Order: sequence, then structure tokens, then C-alpha cells
Amino acid sequence: MTTGELIRSARLRAGYSQKELAQRLGMASSSIARWETDTVEPGYSTLRRVLQACGFDIPPVLVPYERDPARDAQVQELQDLSPQARMERYLVRLEKRGPS
Amino acid sequence: MSRQRFDPYAILRQLENPRTFFVVIGGLARVIQGSDELTEGLDIAPSLSQENLRRVGRALENMNARRVDGQPLDLTNLNPEREPVIELTSDHGQIKIVPEPAGTRGYEDLRVRANRERLGHGLRPSVASPGDLVRMMESLDRQPDRLVLETMRRVLELERRPTIEQ
Repeated sequence: MTTGELIRSARLRAGYSQKELAQRLGMASSSIARWETDTVEPGYSTLRRVLQACGFDIPPVLVPYERDPARDAQVQELQDLSPQARMERYLVRLEKRGPS
Repeated sequence: MSRQRFDPYAILRQLENPRTFFVVIGGLARVIQGSDELTEGLDIAPSLSQENLRRVGRALENMNARRVDGQPLDLTNLNPEREPVIELTSDHGQIKIVPEPAGTRGYEDLRVRANRERLGHGLRPSVASPGDLVRMMESLDRQPDRLVLETMRRVLELERRPTIEQ
């Protein structure tokens, strides 16, 4: 879910129009529109303020995130190639696999 | 009917010949941006201007593209809500036309951050940015795509990593 979808979902669940929410926050409704379409992404504190105005919140909770060193190495290896080289590598692998 | 061998270069050449406007999305875009998946088929988000859709339509006809649902191939009345994806087969493999990819507002939204990538053979298609590719996958939220999504998030991290000036 994108930040825009989160804001839109909270606003709709609160039953506000974009204009009503903007009035509650003391800002232009065009800001709400830009956030909801992900044209502009609000900062974390602003996001919480918007959600709280709708009666919701996202608590700042840290959850463990384990990196996968093997995948990171593979991604880095591919990033070191040019887009053309990535395509060529992909086509060779596709050829080897044969018809799916 | 036997399936055609997938030849992305041939498809891109046909699409670029009549100067069409589109952004490559989906699996092949992710491969170009650094994903290790083995996808087949080319997905594009075309500009929805009528002239562009006519050009795309002509390019598809040149590849003998046909809709898999047997409906006539007419792109001039695209309706993303009624038909979010148009699946085609062609002489060079599968093609999907996606007027408004999930989580985006279509071509005009994607093209701003897309890059024209040099793929060789004189081709430089516009390819969706890693950020937009992640956005699309997050919107679709498909369980089998989780590993690919993690890979693309890592690609995005690397792209955003600040470079150290020497």
C-alpha cells in the first residue's frame, strides 16, 4: 500500500471529503489530492498528523528486518552490469531454460 | 497453436519504428533494472493519446498481434477500469498493454521517472524506474512476487544510495 492509498483509505473511513480533511488540518485541499495520488509524499510526522485527523494512527514500531547477504550480493552484481548486459544475460538464461 | 519464441528486441524494434510513446513495465522492466527473474513477455504502458494508440496498434499489427480473448485489436477505446490489461500474442511473443498500471496513473505518471535505457541493437526504450516498479508490485501485493519485490527494493536502495565524491 502506498502512502497515498493509506491517506485516502483513512479519509474515506472517516467519511471526510478532501476539502473537509484539508479544513481540519488548516491546509489547502490540493495538498491532500497530491498526497493521495502519490505525487508528493508527506514526511512521517505530517503523515501521522493527517491520519490522526481522521481518527487513526501508525505507531512508530520497529520490527526486525533480516538482510539476505546472498541476494544483496546478486543484486549488486547485476547493478554493476549495464542494462544491455543485463538483457543479454537474461536472454541467455531464457534460451537455456527453453520453452516454458 | 505453438507459442512463439520470446524476442523482446524484435518487439521493441517494431514498437519504436513508428515513434510510439510507451514505458516498459513489468517483468522485463525489472530485469533491465536489475532483477534476476526469468519472465516472458513484454508489458507496456502506452501514452493514451489517440494518435499514439493508432501507432501502437499499427506496430502490433505488423507483428501479427492478436488478443488472446479473440476480440478485435482496437486500442483506440482503451478503458483501464473496464479492461486493466490487454493480453496479446504476436510473432515475437507475448505482449501486455496496461493503460494504467497498478499504483500509478499511467504513462504520463511513469514517464517522468522512466529512463531511456540503452539495450543494444540501437534500441533505447523508456523503462519504468525501480521506484515505480516497486510501487506497482506493492499495489498488486501478490504473494508469489515477494522475493522479486524484495530484490527490487534492494535495487531501489542501491539507486538511492548517495555517491561519495572523490
